[in-house]
Amino acid sequence: MRRLVLGLCISFLATASYAQERLTDISAPTSPASALLGVQPQSVLSPKSYGALETALYSNFINSAGETVLPNDFGLEFTPYWASDHSLTIEEYLYPQDVWKGQIVRNSSFSMASTQNFRLGDSTATSGLGFGYRTTLYFGNKKDREVVTQFRQQIAKNQKVQARIGAEANQLVFQPEIQGRTDFLNAIRPVIAKALQDVYEEDSTQLVEEQVNTILADSSSLPTYDSDNLDAFLDAFMNMVDQNLVDADRKLNAQAVFDNFKGYIKNRQGFSVDVAYGVFLNFPASNFKSAVAPRHSFWVTPSYRFKDELSRLKVMGVFRFETYNTGYYKEYFPSSQVFEHNIDYGIAVSGEFDRFSLQLEAVGRSSNSLVPAGTDNTGNQLFRKDSRSDFQAIGTFVYRLNDRLALTYSLGDSFEPIFNAENTLVSLVSLNFGFGGPTRQDLSE
Amino acid sequence: MRKTYRYKDLEFPVADDEDVQFTVEFVSDGNMVQTVVNTPGDNDPEIDGEGTKLLGKGADLRGTQTICFSDAANPVPNEDHIRINFKINDKLLVEHSNEKSEEERPYIVLAIKFPTV
Repeated sequence: MRRLVLGLCISFLATASYAQERLTDISAPTSPASALLGVQPQSVLSPKSYGALETALYSNFINSAGETVLPNDFGLEFTPYWASDHSLTIEEYLYPQDVWKGQIVRNSSFSMASTQNFRLGDSTATSGLGFGYRTTLYFGNKKDREVVTQFRQQIAKNQKVQARIGAEANQLVFQPEIQGRTDFLNAIRPVIAKALQDVYEEDSTQLVEEQVNTILADSSSLPTYDSDNLDAFLDAFMNMVDQNLVDADRKLNAQAVFDNFKGYIKNRQGFSVDVAYGVFLNFPASNFKSAVAPRHSFWVTPSYRFKDELSRLKVMGVFRFETYNTGYYKEYFPSSQVFEHNIDYGIAVSGEFDRFSLQLEAVGRSSNSLVPAGTDNTGNQLFRKDSRSDFQAIGTFVYRLNDRLALTYSLGDSFEPIFNAENTLVSLVSLNFGFGGPTRQDLSE
Repeated sequence: MRKTYRYKDLEFPVADDEDVQFTVEFVSDGNMVQTVVNTPGDNDPEIDGEGTKLLGKGADLRGTQTICFSDAANPVPNEDHIRINFKINDKLLVEHSNEKSEEERPYIVLAIKFPTV
């Protein structure tokens, strides 16, 4: 009989790990190593160069006596491709021609996590080490092309206008007839008008005049025109131009257009597939000879992000294959019920809104093991196939209190956990302080 | 407030009849840059992204300093730096580099003089 588990916990996501299952996210983990180990390190190191990677490994795995140690609560992500420059244009970055080099290699990240607090069934704390790999394939569509082209054209136009104004402004201040702010503004006004006319192909003189007035609207608050320190004046002037150069259609200034493009690149509409693999090593006897790999996991997560008014919606599928070392679990978790192979398959729909997000997921699980079942007449080993199917349906609501603080509530029926098989009903509140597990953004930024 | 990176008092000696070619070359990934070089006359050379443009003969660029103004941006989440090489006649004049955490939409201003060789 299933028992209701009502857990109301304020979960600081940097807590030490225990040998118990967490709620299984349908999406492939950003850090397969941490996910398999079941840890949420307080900080995940993301070295951006090979030198930084060496430093991170050396400083964490070598103690002050020069001995090799396994750090506790440690997480590391490394994306080799981005450790060096490739002079990619924005076009090459957004639309790679080669799937292997342009997508699989570029997006490949390797993760490592370790803990000294992986608890066996008898609560003995042991060392655990996880390794993971992840990559993403993205397949854009026509609408993505249109959106990207629109952003790029708008940014290029804004930049061209500002570059023309900036080139002239920085030259004007050296001309002897420019003696002060009024002289400067009178001289730069026709430059701005011409730049707007040429770049935005605006024929209406009146409209251009209005735009120039908008750009120069705050000129009275510019700093003093000090011929001994013109940089401050020019910096303030160019920032005024940047702030007031507004897209006539959408009323967005240059910074807003750039920010929107940056946001779009992180969540491009279209089809993508995340592929990840992770392996977990445990050292039950606290020495290397006792190393055993209790679990391997392989994820394939296809997802589709919608366009236009549905752009906040994302649909994900999941295929996850896991193998468990049943001998290990029998020895160290005798009360657990572990199958040798698990296959998870399912779907999730998520929506992201300004302050909250919602995800509904339904995942099926098929588990099986080959169990020794004696011998036949000629002495050959016989096996029996034990199998079980299970189902998980969970809804998760996340409310962002601020940039670093989010309240999460999950409700649903989970898979039967390995260690407390009857506890399946989930009602869990957690408060995430934003320094928990790695996110996709941690990897990319 | 956007940060401006200024490279002042740059010099590149050229002969009177020598062509002056100005090049913008991306080093880091995913840069978006528009560059205008304020040369004597009305047709200031403009470079959309990377590329090379003729500024004129050495004799045309004497006297006042030439201002090269770039409006740069980098929206790529995987990239931490903005690195751009500015060259004249294939020789490196300025290697600009800034961390995006400092400024992801920098203005870059080069003030160049072209004295005689």
